Amino acid sequence: MRRLLRNNFYVTLADAKAFTVVAVLLGVFVVAMDNAVPSLLISYLMLVMIGFPFSSAASIRKESATKWEKYKLTAPVKRMDIVKSFFVSQLLWLAVGITFAGMGVALSVALHGYPFDKDTDIFMLFVTGIGVSLFVGAVFFPMYFLGGEERSTVIMIVSLLGGIGIFMGLTTLVNKVYPENMTARQIVMSGIFMVACSAAAFAVSCPLTVWVFKKKEY
Amino acid sequence: MKERKGHMENILELHNLTKSYPKSDFTLDQISFSLPYGSILGFVGENGAGKTTTINCILNTAAKDGGTVKLFGEEMGDGDTDIREKIGVVYDGDNFPGFWTAKQLSKVMARLYQNWDEPLFRDYLERFQLPSKQKIMHYSRGMTMKLAIAAALSHHPELLILDEATSGLDPVMRDDMLDVFLEFVQEENHAILLSSHITSDLEKVADYITFIHNGRLILTAAKDELIYQYAVLRCKESQFQALDKEDILAYRKRDTQIDVLVADGKAAQKKYKDVVADHTSVDEIMLLLVKGERV
Repeated sequence: MRRLLRNNFYVTLADAKAFTVVAVLLGVFVVAMDNAVPSLLISYLMLVMIGFPFSSAASIRKESATKWEKYKLTAPVKRMDIVKSFFVSQLLWLAVGITFAGMGVALSVALHGYPFDKDTDIFMLFVTGIGVSLFVGAVFFPMYFLGGEERSTVIMIVSLLGGIGIFMGLTTLVNKVYPENMTARQIVMSGIFMVACSAAAFAVSCPLTVWVFKKKEY
Repeated sequence: MKERKGHMENILELHNLTKSYPKSDFTLDQISFSLPYGSILGFVGENGAGKTTTINCILNTAAKDGGTVKLFGEEMGDGDTDIREKIGVVYDGDNFPGFWTAKQLSKVMARLYQNWDEPLFRDYLERFQLPSKQKIMHYSRGMTMKLAIAAALSHHPELLILDEATSGLDPVMRDDMLDVFLEFVQEENHAILLSSHITSDLEKVADYITFIHNGRLILTAAKDELIYQYAVLRCKESQFQALDKEDILAYRKRDTQIDVLVADGKAAQKKYKDVVADHTSVDEIMLLLVKGERV
């Protein structure tokens, strides 16, 4: 599986470079601005944590533009490993997104102070970014291999909105379970629960995608 | 044919391979042929005849409905990566992402193939005059095909499977590539399955020719047999009527003349003294088999 990570990296590279430029420029702007109203900072965190892995996932489409997707199947790699490599790449790009988000928040707080009401707010923002990102990947990969490249645009839209929707549904569920004024411990526990749910969905999506991909013919 | 690895003499064996596409009403119907070690098999057929479908089934990129495909004496499943290490593949058209450079391709291939030979790949790039730092999308069609051939050869495969690999090349480039293929089969444990509709290429390099038409295998024979033993009888209507039906492989009416394909030209010449028997070409055989009629 590790043998395919370089392939995935080069497939994503052009998009990742462009996205990195945007993330850096926007990061500089966000850090330079006063964070008294933190909406700009929140948007930045969501953008980088969801954007990096999403652009990585969406780059699969570029393999279909040539015979490379088919060619890879003639190389000494298993279909299962091809799918696993996409999931691992998604996680690696999520780590990149988290790093950018972490640096953005750290610099903004260092320069302008802590902009949120509660100590747990930053934690929950990271939970949201990670959770949405994992749900998006969990929806995108099986749908992509099922629907094919010709439906990839709608699959991208559905998976992005679906990922956000699932996470919002999960948040609603947590809010219904817990009382209105949650303690810090309850907030942290619910955050861990939401990340665990998204990680579980991501993990289940992998064998499902393998199953779909094994039936795919070229 | 050489005896090797105990009883095995064929690097590739297909037996009654079938594959149906109900939506397009196309069926690959019980295809059987074998490719001996140290040889080149030309896989000939018009567009849509089933050449690529056959290759897809051989390489497991499409699931066969029935029959067996043996590579190196074994049926290849998804987990048989050791078999795929020994196979080099070239598809028609863009094999690799166009936004990569040859250098990046080499880095990817080095991870995919244990036997990837970077210096050999660089040698091929130099020999084929392919810039390593230019994006593949800026290559000409001929250059992309040469790159694909270079990549297929650079992990030291034993079997090359080439699907219309020479179709986009000009005659000079094609000739160069055919020389590369002939070099490759100098090693007795190597072989090439060369799918093409450019029959002149196959006449130059192939040891065996297999014809496929509408998903059916219509003839498989040694090339020399086709060129030197097969013949076309140029008959008038009355002469055609006098021919034994079992001598006729296929025939085609052309104005007042009827061209008749026979398997043994010398025997036919002796048997039908008043009929002109011409040596034939792979091209003409294909036309007669595809467009002609059978008795």
